[in-house]
Amino acid sequence: MSTTRKRVYGYLAEFKSASALYKAAEKVRDAGFRKWDCHSPYPIHGLDGAMGIKRSILPWFVFFGGATGLATGFLLAFITQVKIYPTVVQAKPTNIFTVPAFFPPMFELTILFSGFTVLFGLLALIKLPRLNHPLFSSRQCHRATYDAFFIAIQARDPKCNPDGTRSLLEEIGGSNIELVEEED
Amino acid sequence: MASHFVTSADIPADGERLQNATASKVKMVSGGLCALLSLVSVVLLFFAPEQVRAPFAYSWLFAFFFFFTLAIGGIFWTLLHNVSNSGWGTSVRRVMENLGSVYPWLFIFAIPLLCPAVQQYLYEWMTTHREGLSQEGVGLFDGFMFGFYGSDSLKAWFYEHHHALLEYKAWYMNLFAWYVRMIFYFVAMSLVIRGLRNLSVAQDTDPKPGTKRLFQARFHSTYTLILFAITITFAAFDLLMGLDFKWFSTMWGVYLFAGSALNSMAVIIITVTLLQQAGYMKKVVTPEHFHLKGKLMLAFTIFWAYIAFSQFFLIWYANITEETSYFLIRNTGGWNIANIFLVFGHFVVPFVILLQAWLKKNPKLLSLMAVYTLIMHVLDHYLIVLPERSVSLMNILPEHFGHVTTAVPGAFWGDILAFVTIGSGFVFFFLRALGRNNLYPNRDPRLLESANVSN
Repeated sequence: MSTTRKRVYGYLAEFKSASALYKAAEKVRDAGFRKWDCHSPYPIHGLDGAMGIKRSILPWFVFFGGATGLATGFLLAFITQVKIYPTVVQAKPTNIFTVPAFFPPMFELTILFSGFTVLFGLLALIKLPRLNHPLFSSRQCHRATYDAFFIAIQARDPKCNPDGTRSLLEEIGGSNIELVEEED
Repeated sequence: MASHFVTSADIPADGERLQNATASKVKMVSGGLCALLSLVSVVLLFFAPEQVRAPFAYSWLFAFFFFFTLAIGGIFWTLLHNVSNSGWGTSVRRVMENLGSVYPWLFIFAIPLLCPAVQQYLYEWMTTHREGLSQEGVGLFDGFMFGFYGSDSLKAWFYEHHHALLEYKAWYMNLFAWYVRMIFYFVAMSLVIRGLRNLSVAQDTDPKPGTKRLFQARFHSTYTLILFAITITFAAFDLLMGLDFKWFSTMWGVYLFAGSALNSMAVIIITVTLLQQAGYMKKVVTPEHFHLKGKLMLAFTIFWAYIAFSQFFLIWYANITEETSYFLIRNTGGWNIANIFLVFGHFVVPFVILLQAWLKKNPKLLSLMAVYTLIMHVLDHYLIVLPERSVSLMNILPEHFGHVTTAVPGAFWGDILAFVTIGSGFVFFFLRALGRNNLYPNRDPRLLESANVSN
C-alpha cells in the first residue's frame, strides 16, 4: 500500500478514431468546458475549431518582435554610419537617403527578431519546457503518440465534477475512462 | 470551416454558367467601347500629327504591357496549379484559365507595336538598324542561321559607323530575331492556354469523368512553365528594356513576372468575389479560398518588393553609367516622388494590411485590397514606360519636343485613352471567356477536395 498523497488531475478518455475524437471534442466544447485538451498522434484538420480554441495571440507578438528588429537594424546602422561616423562610400549620401544600404541588415534583423519571438513566444504560451506533466502518471496516455486518441478534462475546470464528467465522456463515446491522479 | 461539408449532391451535374444581365451588358458596352476607341487609337497611332503620334506610341506600349501582364499571369496560375498537383484551387481554376485565355486576343493590341511607324518613336535601336538596312549591300538574312544572330553585313555597317554597342548587341537585338521572338511569345503561350483550357472544359461534359485529363494537364504544365518563363522574361526585355538599348538589368524579367503574378491574382480575387455576389460558385468557394488567394497576394507583394529593391540596390551600389540611367530618369523631378510613393504604396501599406488573416477571409475587403494592388500596378507600369518618353522624344524629334523636361505636357490624356481602349478590350474578352463555359470544373475529381479546403 502506497501512502503517498495524490492529487486528482482529471479524466482521461480514449476515442476510437480521429473522427470520433473530432465529434467528441465538439460536444465537450458545447458543454462549456475550458480546461481540457485533445491528444492525437497526428494533427487533425479543423480540430481547433471543434475544440473552440481562439486564435493565438502569437502573431501580434511576432509583429512587434519583427518591428523591433526593423527599428534595431535601422538605428544600429543609421547611428553608427550616419550620425556618429558618417561613412562615405562611392559618393553615396550620408543622410536618410543612405537607407537602401541599410536594408539588408534591417531585413535580417526583422527576420531574426521575428524568428526569436516565434520560438520563445510559442514556448512561453504553451508553457514549455517543463519536466513533467500530470498526465504522464496515466499508463495509457503514452499511446497518444502511437495509435490512440484521447480527451483529457481537468478537474480544475469549474464545470468538472466526478460523476457528471465521467458520464459525459461515456455518453460521447469515450472508452477506458480513467481518473488520472498525480503524485504530490 | 465548421459549416456544412460539401458533397457531390451539392454540385449541379451540369455545372454553373454565367447568365447574368449585368455581365452581358458590361460585355456589350466594353466591346463596343473597345471597338470605337480602337479606331480612335489607330488614327492617333498612325495618322495624327507627329506631336500626337509619338507620345501616344508610349501610351499604347504602357497600356498594352499592363494588360499583357494580367493575362499572362492567368496562364502562370493555371500552369502552377496544374504542375504543383494542387487541390485547393480546383474550384477557382476555371477563372485562372479564363483570365489566361484573354492572352491570344491581346495580339490584336500588339499589332501596332510590330509596325515600324510606331516603333520609330519607341525603339531607337530599330531606327539605327533600319538606317543601316536601307544602305546598299546591307541585308537582314546573311550570316549564321539566316541572320538570326545578326547579319554580317549589318554588323560590318555598325562597325564602320561606330555603333559599337549595337554591333555587340546585334546577336540578340536585331529585327529578324525580334520579330521571330514576338511571334513565339504569342503563338507558344496561346497554344498552351488553349490546350489546357480545352482539356479542362472537355471534362465538364464527360459522362465518365476520370483522372486522365487531370494527369494530362499536370504533365503538359511542366515544360510549358519553362516556355512561360521564357516568354515573360524576354517579352519584358524586348518590349520594355529595349526602350533604352544601352540599359540592361538582369532582374528585369523576374521583376515584371512578380508584378504579373501578383496582379493577375488580384484580378482572380475580384472576379470570384463578383461572381459570388451575382450568386454563382456559392457552394464551391468559401472564405478559405479567399484566405489562400490572399496569402498568395501577400507572398507576391513581398516578392515584388524583394525583386524591385534588389534591382535598385545592385544598380545603386554598382553605380555603372549604363545601368544607373534607368533610375536617374525615374528619380528626376516629379518621377522621384512617384517612385518613393511606390515603395510605400506598392509594398509597405499592402504588406501590413495583408498580414491580417481575418481580412483575407473577407471577400469584399480582400477585393478592395486587390483593386488597390491593381492601382499600384498601374503606377508601377507607368513608371516603367513613361519616364522614357520625354527623354527619348527630345532626342528623336527635337523640333517638337526639344523644350520638354521630365514629361511631355498633355500626353497623359493619351495614356488614359490607351488604357481605357485596351482595358475595355480586356474586360470584353475576359467576360466572353467566362460566359462560354462552366464557371468551375464541376466534374473535376478534385472539386470536392477544393470545396472543403481548410487552412
